[in-house]
Amino acid sequence: MFLQQLINGISVGSVYALLAVGYALIYSLLNFTNFAHAITVTIAAFGCYWFQALITPNLPASLLAGILVAIVMGIFIELFAYRPLLVKKARRLYLMIVGLGVSILCENLMIIVFTGRVRVYPEGFPTDSINIFGASVGLIDLIILVVSVLALVCVELYIEKTRTGLAIRSSAFNLEATALMGVNTNRLILTVFIIAGLLAGIAGTLLGAKYTTYTSLGTYMTNKAFIAAVVGGLGSLPGAVLGALLLGITESFVSAYISTSFRDLFAYIILIVMLLIRPSGLMGKADGDKA
Amino acid sequence: MLKINDLHYAYGKIQALNGIDLELEEGEIHAVIGANGAGKSTLMNCIAGQLRPQSGEILLDGEKLPGAPHLVVSKGVVLVPEGRQIFHNLTVEENLLMGGYTVKDRAPGVRKAFEMFPRLEERRRQRAGTLSGGEQQMLAIARGLMSNPKILLLDEPSLGLAPLIVNDVMRIIQQINSEGVTVLLVEQNARKALSIARTASVMEQGRVVKTGPAADISKDESVISNYLGKSKSKKSSGEQIVP
Ligand SMILES: Nc1ncnc2c1ncn2[C@@H]1O[C@H](COP(=O)(O)OP(=O)(O)OP(=O)(O)O)[C@@H](O)[C@H]1O
Ligand SMILES: [Mg+2]
Repeated sequence: MFLQQLINGISVGSVYALLAVGYALIYSLLNFTNFAHAITVTIAAFGCYWFQALITPNLPASLLAGILVAIVMGIFIELFAYRPLLVKKARRLYLMIVGLGVSILCENLMIIVFTGRVRVYPEGFPTDSINIFGASVGLIDLIILVVSVLALVCVELYIEKTRTGLAIRSSAFNLEATALMGVNTNRLILTVFIIAGLLAGIAGTLLGAKYTTYTSLGTYMTNKAFIAAVVGGLGSLPGAVLGALLLGITESFVSAYISTSFRDLFAYIILIVMLLIRPSGLMGKADGDKA
Repeated sequence: MLKINDLHYAYGKIQALNGIDLELEEGEIHAVIGANGAGKSTLMNCIAGQLRPQSGEILLDGEKLPGAPHLVVSKGVVLVPEGRQIFHNLTVEENLLMGGYTVKDRAPGVRKAFEMFPRLEERRRQRAGTLSGGEQQMLAIARGLMSNPKILLLDEPSLGLAPLIVNDVMRIIQQINSEGVTVLLVEQNARKALSIARTASVMEQGRVVKTGPAADISKDESVISNYLGKSKSKKSSGEQIVP
């Protein structure tokens, strides 16, 4: 039971980590929380579902399609919602409000088009369980865990080892000075939105497979990821992963040993306790104009 | 080489540049001196493409300089900004690599930087935020050189440094210049700047009020009384603390 819950928790935590890293990346460069993140998750799950329903029920192909949709959504949000404000050097609060607006608008549009109905992928993951040291673990949870960890490792390698990755790190400290190095910072920001969209796409398609696809899927999941990112310290990538794992494991144990209905309550308790004792989070960065 | 015509820039209602004309000749060091708030940094940031002037033009070899920082760098014009602005979260070496972002092979540049600044090599894996002020300034200059600029814009490289270190910095600037880099040097430390410059300009309230050979400028009566007077640092004498 314990081991089983631990693996479950890490698996859920790794999905939160995908989303929390997306928040952290954008926050580290631009100092605001991209609340439009939620819609990229939802749209990925719907992309995956409709690809299967309309084109082919091939699972890997539909996952890729869903991820692609999320990336395109991320690009659109950056180009048409945020860039006009960034060019005008708008206050960070306005960016956050615009993101929130985009997310609510899109979610409501989706409710109108698709209704609030819950959908199940025609072709999902196998529902079998396998036995690890006596613990029975869902295959889907293992797949989610492996895919998420692989994605996070790839992003980490990209940021640590490539030229663009170095520029992402330098702009987290000082975006203007990064431009003085010859970096096209508009393109760099777009790259970061693409990475965040990619991670949101992976998370969204996997979550759609594990649970079901519905219009508030992204909002529900990104709320958790946002808590994880804040607990870890907004803007810090290792912090985001740490916060996500902490949250996933806590939720898993609370569900198992107390009650599922206390799960979300505990998520918010962790958030509030962290904000009271350490507002900058486990690994947060210093203050300024942020939202 | 670099020619600035009638440049105007305002931060909202505050007119910071009020018709700047300036000419930088190939191979020289041109010093720009002036009190706090004269508009020196604004001028540098306009050239570097960080600020977009409301009117006037900036020409490099007769061609309009583009209005975005990364494009200005690609034209061979690099700003070492006021306050150094090095990346504290990166190592010394990573800072240099960032400076060479546009260069294909960055290894020779890093090697050259370490030859010029041996202290940086000793600290190559150290976080840049842990360097002393002087070392940070050296790193900022070395980082600026990584993209092999034709023109180096230096905004107050002596700011906050001990007199001995200031001498080091000035020597380095001369050395860089002797290797063929044209330098536009903004300084509060007018005496030091004029001593290494070939030509110079004096800025007051967003205008260039004097320009000519550095030797003549340093003999000018009003320059002597305003910028080369007894007080060593304009920063401390120019500002008054009002309770
Ligand atoms: N971001 C800004 N917003 C509003 N006003 C500004 C801003 N930056 C500079 N100014 C104003 O523009 C004028 C010129 O400033 P600038 O920084 O160019 O002067 P400077 O000559 O570089 O001064 P210093 O020697 O202190 O660096 C000053 O009056 C300053 O108050
Ligand atoms: Mg200045």
